[in-house]
Amino acid sequence: MSAAADGGDDVRSEMRAFIEDNFLYLDPDAELADDQELLAAGIVDSLGFVEIVEEVEARYAVGVKDVEITEENFGSVDAIARYVERKRAGS
Amino acid sequence: MCGIAGIVRADPGEAVGEAALLRMARSIRHRGPDGFGLLLDPGAGLVSTRLSIVDLEHGWQPLIGDEAGSVLVYNGEVYNHPELRERLRAQGVRFRTRSDTEVVHALLEREGLSGLDRLNGQFALAWWQPRRRRLTLIRDRFGVRPLSYSHRDDGGIVFGSEAKALFASGEVRAAVDLAGLDQVFALWAPQAPRTAFAGVSQLEPGGLLVWERGEIVERRRWWRAGPGQPAAEPGFEGLEPVLRDSVSLRLRADVPVGAYLSGGLDSSLISALAQVEKEGELRTFSVAFDDPAYDERAEQELVAGALGTRHHVVEAGAAEIAAAFPDVIRHAETPLVRTAPVPLYLLAREVHAHDLKVVVTGEGADELFWGYDLFKEVAIRDRHRGDPERAMELLAELYPHLGPSGARRGPGWARFLLEAGAGDDPLASHRTRIDSTAWVRSFYRDDVAAGLSVEGALAPLRDELPDGFAGWEPLERAAWLEVTTLLEPYLLAAQGDRVAMAHAVEGRYPFLDHRVYGRSVALSEEEKLTATSDKVALRRLAEELLPASISARRKQPYRAPEVVPFFTPGAPGWVEEALAPAALEAVGIWEPRRVEGLLRRCRSGRATGVREGMALVGILSTQLWHEAFVAASGDHPAETAAPAVRIDRTVDQSMSEVS
Repeated sequence: MSAAADGGDDVRSEMRAFIEDNFLYLDPDAELADDQELLAAGIVDSLGFVEIVEEVEARYAVGVKDVEITEENFGSVDAIARYVERKRAGS
Repeated sequence: MCGIAGIVRADPGEAVGEAALLRMARSIRHRGPDGFGLLLDPGAGLVSTRLSIVDLEHGWQPLIGDEAGSVLVYNGEVYNHPELRERLRAQGVRFRTRSDTEVVHALLEREGLSGLDRLNGQFALAWWQPRRRRLTLIRDRFGVRPLSYSHRDDGGIVFGSEAKALFASGEVRAAVDLAGLDQVFALWAPQAPRTAFAGVSQLEPGGLLVWERGEIVERRRWWRAGPGQPAAEPGFEGLEPVLRDSVSLRLRADVPVGAYLSGGLDSSLISALAQVEKEGELRTFSVAFDDPAYDERAEQELVAGALGTRHHVVEAGAAEIAAAFPDVIRHAETPLVRTAPVPLYLLAREVHAHDLKVVVTGEGADELFWGYDLFKEVAIRDRHRGDPERAMELLAELYPHLGPSGARRGPGWARFLLEAGAGDDPLASHRTRIDSTAWVRSFYRDDVAAGLSVEGALAPLRDELPDGFAGWEPLERAAWLEVTTLLEPYLLAAQGDRVAMAHAVEGRYPFLDHRVYGRSVALSEEEKLTATSDKVALRRLAEELLPASISARRKQPYRAPEVVPFFTPGAPGWVEEALAPAALEAVGIWEPRRVEGLLRRCRSGRATGVREGMALVGILSTQLWHEAFVAASGDHPAETAAPAVRIDRTVDQSMSEVS
């Protein structure tokens, strides 16, 4: 397993836990799938989306540009992990 | 301004006890601290508590008229009473007082319900005609003054300015009406005739009800908001003189009149017009917040300075908001999703402390002249079909008070606003607010949620839509929905009458003069809303009267902090007690496990979003509301002061006024 993949898994588990704690507390028994679409499934609203972006910025010390705030980058746990990996890789 | 209450039985042989009337009087003395009066008839009793504003010496109620002993108890003001008095006098009516109550009574006796169209004012009244055993309850056009009633199984009717008078009668017990309560979590307030209490109704704005010998024989709206009608003199030119006259009429009183000043366009404009009328004697009152996100004190001071008013400021900090919250719920008589009524409660307390009884305010302008961002949402949705790029730019500028920029709010923001509601849904304009608010329903216990639905909460509204509503322009539909679902049910109630009358302060609303309303709906869309401006006609008028930075100022929604007051260090201990699992179980509406997740977010300072703020306030206020009414003991103290008027007609059927 590459270092990058290791890092991706950490991001996945940390962001999954963050989303479960902060947005899935209404349904504590629900399991969040890594590919679940957060907006479409109603798990977060638009201000919750901002919270996720801010959490990624703070936790992983990455600067998120406005144009990067898309579902492609933040729409699911998988998407966030891929985005953080790319940012860490400097792209 | 006053409070009214009464009990009327189907059977005149069944007495109404004076003790019950004294308890009812006590329950609404805050509305009328200057004194009270009562009347006992066979099988009937009426109460009035008085805040003396017109004809301070006379003008006491209940007031007996000329026609076969008919009686009026009346809460409110009819501003054009001098003109109506002259008209009636010319027809041979003789008056004993200078009060507007007597004018309204004489008009009703002479012209019946058709005379209501002549009234310009805000009132709730009960007109008792004992010979016919007929009770008529009437509310003003916009529903500025409240009126609750309960039609009992035995045919009798119990009514009062506030539901607490019904409970104090000993004849109505407070119980939860889940369907009424559920409307709070879709539309912010129960919608008349529903209340959050089972068996308790409220008269609709512009509504009347006629009860006769145990039966409700007539129930209708004598006025209701409608679509734009061509005016004789449309446009701004027609609006200005009517608004000036409306302000002038609302300064009529035998006591000083002050003004609320938020720092925004509407209240500044009313203050400016009032200051002209008062020739420089106006006193203004403002709320200031220690949190700069809510504070407008710089603008308030700018306006007060420019107008030369004597200005007063009350600070609404977290501690003050939390401390006053339970009493606000007791006055509002419904759960709330916002804390915004609390600073207005504090403001009324300040007005009362300065010995003022009456204030004019800017309420109503945002509904009539399309000031809310909700109207811009509707316009942007329409624009998005032809010019999506410009629509997205405008969208990013909406709701700046939410913190992060529109761009930072990401794709969900645009989707939420642009895709809200099916295009052919008559409620489409309000779908974003309904959906945000309805999220609070996710915290219901499963057994509570099982019998409720958002569509169920909206069904009475859909049934009430005017004929042809679907064919109105989208912005006209939005404005009608705003007047119908928000203005009276929430703004004029929890944020208006209830918190002001908690401190015996009467709010007067120049924008809610029906003639101003008529002018507003006759304006073209462009005279209200454009891509770059709102309330266009009002701004044009304000340019002549106010500093440019105020007349051109973008609207700042009036809000108050929702989570911080209850979770800041030093917050009152009752907050966590009211939200503890055992307390939630005892009330039986909210699911403790779900609430616990929200509380975790509140305690950590993460619950900063709109939905979570509404959820916390909604759940906490439900708990307090239940404790204040439903779980309360049912013991109600009686008024112990001597009545200013006591009329007992039960003995020999003749009027015997004993004091």
